[in-house]
Amino acid sequence: MLGIYDEREIVPLEGTWKANVGDSVVGTVASAKGSVCIVDLSSFVRGLIVLRKYETAPEKGSIISAVIRDVENRRTAILEGSSELHGGILMKVKPSKVPRLIGKSNTMINQIADLTAVRIVVGMNGLVWISGENSARAVAAIERVCEEAHVPGLTMRIKEMLEKEKGIIGNDIEKGTI
Amino acid sequence: MKSNKPELIVNNKRLDGRNFDELRPLSIKAGVIDNASGSAYVEWGNNKIIAAVYGPKEAMPKHMMDPSKAIIKCRYAMSPFSNLSEHGRSGPSRRSTEISKVIKEVFENVVFLNEFPGSEIDIFVEVLQGDGGTRAAGITAASVAMASAGIPMRDLVYAVSVGRIDDKLALDLNMIEDNYSDSDMPIAVAPRDGEILLLQMDGGLSREQLSRGISMVLSAGKDISKKQIDALKENYDSISKKYES
Amino acid sequence: MKMESIDMIKVNYIKSMLAKNMREDSRGMFDFRNMRITPGTMGNAEGSAQVELGRTKVLAGVKIALEAPMTDTPDQGNMTVAAELLPLAHSKYESGPPTPEAIELSRVTDRGIRAGSCIDLKSLFIEEGKAWGVYIDVYVLNYGGNLFDACEIAAMSALLNSTMPTYEDGKVIHENRKNRLKIDNIVTSTTFAKIGGSILLDPSLDEEIASDARLTVTNDGSSIRSMQKGLRGSFYQKEIEELVGISFNKHVELKSLIEKRV
Repeated sequence: MLGIYDEREIVPLEGTWKANVGDSVVGTVASAKGSVCIVDLSSFVRGLIVLRKYETAPEKGSIISAVIRDVENRRTAILEGSSELHGGILMKVKPSKVPRLIGKSNTMINQIADLTAVRIVVGMNGLVWISGENSARAVAAIERVCEEAHVPGLTMRIKEMLEKEKGIIGNDIEKGTI
Repeated sequence: MKSNKPELIVNNKRLDGRNFDELRPLSIKAGVIDNASGSAYVEWGNNKIIAAVYGPKEAMPKHMMDPSKAIIKCRYAMSPFSNLSEHGRSGPSRRSTEISKVIKEVFENVVFLNEFPGSEIDIFVEVLQGDGGTRAAGITAASVAMASAGIPMRDLVYAVSVGRIDDKLALDLNMIEDNYSDSDMPIAVAPRDGEILLLQMDGGLSREQLSRGISMVLSAGKDISKKQIDALKENYDSISKKYES
Repeated sequence: MKMESIDMIKVNYIKSMLAKNMREDSRGMFDFRNMRITPGTMGNAEGSAQVELGRTKVLAGVKIALEAPMTDTPDQGNMTVAAELLPLAHSKYESGPPTPEAIELSRVTDRGIRAGSCIDLKSLFIEEGKAWGVYIDVYVLNYGGNLFDACEIAAMSALLNSTMPTYEDGKVIHENRKNRLKIDNIVTSTTFAKIGGSILLDPSLDEEIASDARLTVTNDGSSIRSMQKGLRGSFYQKEIEELVGISFNKHVELKSLIEKRV
């Protein structure tokens, strides 16, 4: 069933992201003027970092991860504990798939990161940062998780997929060195 | 209403063999446009319609933004090759502009706009092939697109038209019936409480015919709603099926 | 078009992959993505075809209408190809008058078919003051890169799928379509993108964002029929000659794919 009837609302399995206090997010710095830094979260919700005196503003366009400290009027998320993510790529997934992508106590995301040997940071807003040699394989695995999020046995399938590919990764490296 | 009206009722059946309260074949598929937040493709009789939803995203231009809620924009348009006869010109007409407006108003009713202050939700309804009742089919498709985008709504809207041919009321008019009918009335409904969100009518109806017409739409709604929900489920089931057996 | 930060990150990624001679979807440099042609999807049109090329999805519809010949060519009919970037195809497309990007796409698609003499315009002449006008409208439904090739192949497939309305006693009967539209030639299109020092065929959406230059080559197996170079970057003579060679090789594959589906 796609939606569950609540009192006056259909609760959909698909869903847009609503900013909640405590959410980890990933975004790009849209502008940095004075002590205020605006973060594009790829949503109608904008992130805002208020810099402290001794802090230097991150460069425009850089990727950051942070946690939401407060939400004003549903569309401005005040961020804290921001750190810059260097290099890597950003991919966008449906926010409704993020819990499955992370998995119970991080099982799914750790598995993908381990088997592809990449670094991954997932934002509740649906932006995922990936860095490492095998980013393309991690992207493929994440796309599959999102597509099959509702089908049981997913952790095993992703494991099989990535272990089978491990051989191919080895081959590629060999080809590259010849 | 045109002159030289053909016989639309033969042996108490409609030209395509349907009963008066019978819908044309309807199939709906969700998730057809990769780039969109949500989308749906509807074949309803010979109508072929794509609806897609983008958003919620930051409202543009800025002066249209409403800091208290989301705004909805809608474009309904017909392709230049949608008609059997002439080549249609692209670009908005007065007709398509009006239809865009009434579709927008339907969704302003059911979408929880307050959830997304300052944002914009875009609805696109493209009629690839038209066969009468395109606005109703477009709303039915847009509703599935909106749900598949995960945008919270209080109900899954459907729409269908009812018309009068001579002294008979007929559900879901096709193109020929639409062209020559004595009256046509597209209706969009929020099915849970039977609220009517769109109603347009021209031609002539008695008060008794009006009541009966609305009742026909409301009872046909069960079938349409089921198709809509099935389309949304199918999106998931087709992937699940790969792993069954 | 302002480049967003997320696009910049993609561009860097594409470039770093290309430096290792790799594409994001592990294709060869001169491979097309999967192409699927479905002709005859729209029954009200005289001809139609849907083309999927990777994530790109386009639909071409042909309408054939009775009209007066143009005054400067009184003995022939008319043909027009137009491509439309539907706002539902990508978040960057908007409703409103066609953008320069859409006009270029329309004109390049038209040029290939016109220059390829795919339709003999004289054969569209009916009688004095009356001729057929062939309108090919290509709808972009989902933008996933390389619209030029997808639109050209859709337009060509839709033409091959077209049947003529009948003309009797000065009236057109669209319901009664018997004879096929006569097609004299089949052209196919190949579009290359140059990103840094690399050249590749059939750019994906991300690869288009990263592109410095673009070259579209249309040919019919014996002649080059039209070309269009786009974007800021440049090509050398040697590169162009090489790409034209690849274009001819690809024509064989593409033509058989188009003919198989008619």
